[in-house]
Amino acid sequence: MMNKVLTSLNTFFFVILSVSIIFSLFSIPKLDVEETKSTRVNFYEVMQQEEKSLKTYPSNKKLKKEANSTYENNDKREIDNISKIPKFEINKSHLKNEISKIKLSRERKDILRVSTIIQNRISSIWIKPNSLSDTLSAKVLINLAPSGEILNFIMTEPSTNKSFNDSILSAMNKLSFFEEILVLERKLFEENFRNFKLVFKSSGEID
Amino acid sequence: MKKIFFIIGFLISNNVFSILEIEILKGSDNLSKIAFVPFGVEENIKEVYGSKISKYIQENLLLFGEFENLDKAEMLSYPSSEEDFYYRDWKVLGVDYSIIGKVNSINSFGSLSISYSLFNINRRIKILEGEIVGNEDNLKGISKIISNRVYEEITGLKGIFDTKLAYVINSNSDTYQMCISDIDGKNEQILFTSSAPIMSPDWSPDRKKIAYVSFENGLAEIFIQDLSSGKRESIQALGMTNSAPVWSPDGKSIALVVSFSGNPDIFLYSIRKKRLIRLTDHYGIDTEPSWSPDSKKIIFTSDRSGSPQLYEINTQSKRKKRLTRDGNYNARGRYFPDGKSIFFVHGNNGRFQIATKKITSRYIETLTSTSLDESPTISPNGNIIIYATKNGSNGYLGGITLDGKSRFSLPLKNGSVREPAWSPLLN
Repeated sequence: MMNKVLTSLNTFFFVILSVSIIFSLFSIPKLDVEETKSTRVNFYEVMQQEEKSLKTYPSNKKLKKEANSTYENNDKREIDNISKIPKFEINKSHLKNEISKIKLSRERKDILRVSTIIQNRISSIWIKPNSLSDTLSAKVLINLAPSGEILNFIMTEPSTNKSFNDSILSAMNKLSFFEEILVLERKLFEENFRNFKLVFKSSGEID
Repeated sequence: MKKIFFIIGFLISNNVFSILEIEILKGSDNLSKIAFVPFGVEENIKEVYGSKISKYIQENLLLFGEFENLDKAEMLSYPSSEEDFYYRDWKVLGVDYSIIGKVNSINSFGSLSISYSLFNINRRIKILEGEIVGNEDNLKGISKIISNRVYEEITGLKGIFDTKLAYVINSNSDTYQMCISDIDGKNEQILFTSSAPIMSPDWSPDRKKIAYVSFENGLAEIFIQDLSSGKRESIQALGMTNSAPVWSPDGKSIALVVSFSGNPDIFLYSIRKKRLIRLTDHYGIDTEPSWSPDSKKIIFTSDRSGSPQLYEINTQSKRKKRLTRDGNYNARGRYFPDGKSIFFVHGNNGRFQIATKKITSRYIETLTSTSLDESPTISPNGNIIIYATKNGSNGYLGGITLDGKSRFSLPLKNGSVREPAWSPLLN
């Protein structure tokens, strides 16, 4: 008799437990994220948004003040706007990534800018030999001082054409400085322009 | 030692980090500047010999506008030997190369020994030196040899200052002259004069003969003229008219156009066997043949597609290939010495200009800016094209370097100049 009572109690508690678990599962709030409403933030948009947000929401205090006033005024529209603020703050880590991306792209721009200046300077003094119908290529390694002075250069991969190689060496000997380097940050200089290569190409005069 | 450390440093850094590479494709539009220093002379030799040699070398190297020269008045010194040569004197003047030399006497019969040196000022090294023995009567010839060597050292291309040009002068309406001259227009020789038109001269590979077309007997007839004896011989081909002769690179045969009953086709004529071999057989006009450098193919003009276009035929298999498609006029094709590209007359909107094209590519590059260009011929080193063009009714010879940096016209003759043909190099 006693056993039967205990078994039925066990069953009862088990049922209660199961039901409570099921209820608790359904009671977890569901995140309502619609794919169509999500937007991707590009780094240039972040820049704009950053500026915008600074203008619209100058400080947290001001925001809270505004929020309070809106509560006081019982303006439902303003409450909706305030509710958007925390969403924006959630993306801060994303923003950090984007900012580092911006920094990288700025560095890349600096490298490209200086590379283009170097490219133009070499092109203005390199007298290419005439009538090179073959596609030739030669590489020159350059060692620069932070002042832009060419400390040394060496043709590491000469082409098969002697006059092509001679013309490159003649051009290189006309240069002693790359003053353009001076505008670069030291870190960028060390990483990219301390040692760099010039790849001279003759795509042929008749292409 | 410093260099070794530098290389080791580079190798290490190369392996550890990736190195920035900057690509340089475009070269400068400037020309190399050369200082032609008057050659020094030995005590018992006329001073004018030294200045004449440097003047002739200067004239040669500046002939096609490929270099710039430093004015003699600007020179800080006139060194004639390496001991007296200071690089800084030339570096400050923006000079790229400097040529110096000295004339020494060998005997009392006018034999001279001329030593010369070429310096690369930017690299601060002597890149050429040599000595030539010759006679005082042949200073121009000696200068051409020095010019060729200097040109080859600077450009990597064979010097062409001892090559010749054949051309036709039409001095008035009924006088035609077949002429040859040095490439600078000097030492002109008239080979043949006729009241009937003369056209299409072409040099034999040994430079001893010239083939050309003459209408002296009423029809187009091919003659081969020996340059030393002046003797002329007609090719006894069987057709009604024979024209556009072009010597094969091995000198054994001539490609030509023979017209049987008014339909011109391309044939090969064996000089030794005096036999004709037909290459093309088409109702369209096939004309203006020219050999590939390896003698395996012939380029020709044909209107078989409805307009003049360039075709290539294999002389063995006789397989044909159309080479041009852009424009409604592409004619008078010739191969570059490397055989990879062609140059020709390209007609577009009433303008006829000299153009080039890689055989494997479709892209046509127009070289000239004049509008009535014809008969292009290329220097044996493949760097300069000379062509006939017109200024009003007067025909003259224009020229252009392939990099387009220099355009020039050859000295005017007494009459209209046409049909230039550049001689091969002397072996």
